[in-house]
Amino acid sequence: MLAFDFDYYKPSSMEEAVNQFKVLKRTGKSPMYFSGGTEIITLGRLNYLYADSVIDIKSIPECCTMDFEHDNLYLGSAITLAEIEGSDIFPLLSKVSSEVGDHTSRTKITLGGNICGDIFYREAVLPFLLADSVVFIAEEDGIQAYNINEIFNEELKKKEGDLLVQVVTEKKYVTAPHITIKRQKQWESGYPVITASALKINSNVRVAISGLCPFPFRSREMEETLNNRSVSIDQRIKLAMTKLPEPILSDTEASDKYRLFVLSNVLHDILQALEVS
Amino acid sequence: MSIIGKSVIRQESYDKVTGRAKYTADYSSRSLFHAKTVISTFAHAKIKSIDTKEARSVRGVRAILAGEEFPLTGEEIRDRPPIAVDKVRFHGEVVALVVADNPKVAKQAASLIKIEYDPLPVVNSPSEALEENAPLLHNDVSKYEKEEGVNPIPKSNIANHVKIRKGQKEKGWSESEVTLEATFGFPPSDHIAMETRAVTAEIRPNGYVYIQSSSQAPFMIKKLISTYFDIDVGKVVVNTPLVGGGYGGKASVQLEILAYLASKAVDGRPVKMVNSREEDMITSPGHVGLEAKIKLGSTSDGCLKVAEITYLFDSGAYSDKAVHLSRAGAVDCTGPYCIENIWCDSYSVYTNHPYPAPYRGFAHTEVLFAFERAMDMLSNKLEMDPLDLRMKNAILPGDRTPTQVKLNRSTVGDVPACIERLRKIIDWDKEKVVKVSDHIIRAKGVCCVWKNSTIPTDSSSGAILTFNEDGSINLISGVVEIGTGTKTVLAQMVAEKMEMDIKNIHVQMRVDTQSTPEHWKTVASRGTFLAGRAVLAAADDALCQLKEIASVVLRADVDDLVVANSRVFLREEPELGVHFREIAYGYVYPNGNAIGGQIIGRGTYIQRNMTHLDPETGAGKPGPEWAVGAQAVEVEFNTRDYTYKVIKAVSVLDIGKVLNYKGARGQVTGAMSMGLAFGAREGFVFDEQARVLNPQLRTYRPVHYGEHPEYIVDFIETPHLDSPFGARGVGEQGLLGMPAALANCLSIASGVSLQHLPLTPEYIWRRKEGL
Repeated sequence: MLAFDFDYYKPSSMEEAVNQFKVLKRTGKSPMYFSGGTEIITLGRLNYLYADSVIDIKSIPECCTMDFEHDNLYLGSAITLAEIEGSDIFPLLSKVSSEVGDHTSRTKITLGGNICGDIFYREAVLPFLLADSVVFIAEEDGIQAYNINEIFNEELKKKEGDLLVQVVTEKKYVTAPHITIKRQKQWESGYPVITASALKINSNVRVAISGLCPFPFRSREMEETLNNRSVSIDQRIKLAMTKLPEPILSDTEASDKYRLFVLSNVLHDILQALEVS
Repeated sequence: MSIIGKSVIRQESYDKVTGRAKYTADYSSRSLFHAKTVISTFAHAKIKSIDTKEARSVRGVRAILAGEEFPLTGEEIRDRPPIAVDKVRFHGEVVALVVADNPKVAKQAASLIKIEYDPLPVVNSPSEALEENAPLLHNDVSKYEKEEGVNPIPKSNIANHVKIRKGQKEKGWSESEVTLEATFGFPPSDHIAMETRAVTAEIRPNGYVYIQSSSQAPFMIKKLISTYFDIDVGKVVVNTPLVGGGYGGKASVQLEILAYLASKAVDGRPVKMVNSREEDMITSPGHVGLEAKIKLGSTSDGCLKVAEITYLFDSGAYSDKAVHLSRAGAVDCTGPYCIENIWCDSYSVYTNHPYPAPYRGFAHTEVLFAFERAMDMLSNKLEMDPLDLRMKNAILPGDRTPTQVKLNRSTVGDVPACIERLRKIIDWDKEKVVKVSDHIIRAKGVCCVWKNSTIPTDSSSGAILTFNEDGSINLISGVVEIGTGTKTVLAQMVAEKMEMDIKNIHVQMRVDTQSTPEHWKTVASRGTFLAGRAVLAAADDALCQLKEIASVVLRADVDDLVVANSRVFLREEPELGVHFREIAYGYVYPNGNAIGGQIIGRGTYIQRNMTHLDPETGAGKPGPEWAVGAQAVEVEFNTRDYTYKVIKAVSVLDIGKVLNYKGARGQVTGAMSMGLAFGAREGFVFDEQARVLNPQLRTYRPVHYGEHPEYIVDFIETPHLDSPFGARGVGEQGLLGMPAALANCLSIASGVSLQHLPLTPEYIWRRKEGL
């Protein structure tokens, strides 16, 4: 149960949504975009989050697309993880999505919500970081396109009131060889100790990681080291482990040292899988 | 044909599977007020100030309780203020209570109460609590009002000390050629019943207190509310509908006290409280933690000579059921073995942790984890097969238990038979470790279990059978239907006894302390025994009455009458008889004359020949019988990253006569899954200030679908002669050995000894790395 009331808006276009947000903000309200609602409900009931107005984006057609057009895959931000899981439109993303939360949650959690939410694992962004995808963001002056690797730095650096509408990915990335490995504290439920996703592009392996730090990331420096085939896999991994961002998470899921142990095993499995294939 | 043993579907199942079954929180009315707690964010702190001004100004707030002194509460030691006064002693303790028109307003106002704390140094483990300069949780525990037989140590953090002194330990040590000493431990955790606790309380103008609660102990609520608040016991009426899982957690009385106080604050108007999951985990009592030290001595051929044991039960901030837990842990302080010399000190120790309720197994799972792990470590030292060591020392009729009870074939199950059956089922004599692939091995681990109950010596149960006009029977028992199906098993007993169709026996699911005969508490796997005996006595009583009136109608001696298929008839001429419907409400002759009257069967049972424990030696008869078993776990273990998957879990339990096969199997597999989750994953994580870092299902995860192994359950049926049809307890036994078997298995697989729970891959990694 939420201890606060909120007004509910359901715009039918991007422009209307962005404008609604601006108007509410101007009148001193605390608006929030709403799609699956899982974070608003679960964090709101603990008073970790507050909104007095929510703008539901599920009636905006662009937010609900899941289609190829001219060799580009358009995925709307209001598509649920369960829908992505159920289709094979982007195999790596389907696999990553299928391991977030549990099925009941995934029928509500949306792509946009997972990428823009407060819970920092944001695993659905990993495949897009690897695929150099482009994000469409509705802003006050209209829609803008950004390379995800430029605008996503720990989190999606959009301005307040801007709305993530779509993520666009080139087909060659969607169909590239891939692997994703998720390791949890115990068995197969819970947050990641490490989730690492990888794509193989032009014989090079790209890796993006969630769970190691309080944000997901893709590191070019690590990738360079990992692809240096003049040295052994073990050595490459050892070197790559010196190029990690900070801080390394240490919490009830896992200590920092254990996370590093898990990561080095996972990197090993990724390189083995993709270099052999 | 006997209905005992048949997998009869429980009577409430159709309501449950269609979602129509109603639990306490499902009942609502517009006249209800709603209460919400404010809980402590510190584990140990002085309360500097409580500012309720802003909260009071919220429209719809009816009362706020904070800082006020109420009578102290607690089941054996009255050490717990219902709402904290001056200081808080654990993270999650209730500091204030808001009563309002609706749950939302209550929650809103609760979030506006501002509390300032002055942190105090914390006690973050039982061993810390015993350190010389440890902060005292309670100034002088010995000054509190307490029950007989509780043994607190003045001016210490020890709420209770139980001693077991059997034989002479010096003799045992001198006869020992191989010794083992080891320590074990795990943190407090929670039951995670699907239904969080809920209660409604109302004080009527005539002084009657009505409470509806999701409880395993409605009769204890009645008694304690009466005692704490000095109300005539007959004026406290408690009712309990179906309960959505108890596991012991709902045997403690806690939320009911708050609801009563909340109602009192609003002129007796009915007030409803429903725990959030977080409150259910840390504010209401959870699962006890333990630190254990075990020393074993044996001959070189594996004959156990002595056990010297220290158990420090983590009682958290308040003793409540922890006193009793430390007693139960002492009573069965070893595994099911005959050991001549036993010296055990079991303590209930205050810490700044959430305090415990009973937990399925009642201190036995906890103690067995330590003891059965020690047995495997000893077998390793002896270079003896772990099952052979257990077989060699298995307790038998004629042997004496730690509390010096001499056993016979009825009072203890067959340990060797369980071990032998388990040995076959798990192919124990083949390799214990098998390589599956590069990094994967398969390994097995075993343990033995036993359990008696240590409920009060005078625990009793009562039952009533009434009849309907069609001759069918209503069965009324004080057992709460907590999901175990016990009430359906009671109906099976009546059907068997009266040789009638179970379809004609209607079970009243709700318990109402005013109209339902008392059943002490629905705990300790004692429902089928205590209530079963009461129900059989009630059936006997009804049978006598039926025959008496039938003998008049049929003009025959009572001894010539037989009852079956809802009829009383002549043994010699079965066609000559009367149906229950003709006599259960009195028999009416053709001319209108009536004789007899309603038939009401009544029956009671009280435990026989139980004794208190001797304070110096622990000698005494704590409970009626020991159910025993042997269990195993098989895992696939990754030798590179220490992850593992439980492939198989096996229980061979001697539960006496099986009363309802699928019901019993369901109890055992459910308990096994709970035991595996407790062993492998569950446990509160505390920070340095003793705050619980994972009081949510996001971060504290019980077992999920898809994570279950194959469960193999087999029964040995050695009858307990006092019990209906020879049955033994089965509600808890499946859980008892799971953590120990898993730890033994993973210790073999990983090559390092694992002595702490939960058994996460990170813990195994730390042990491997020597961290």
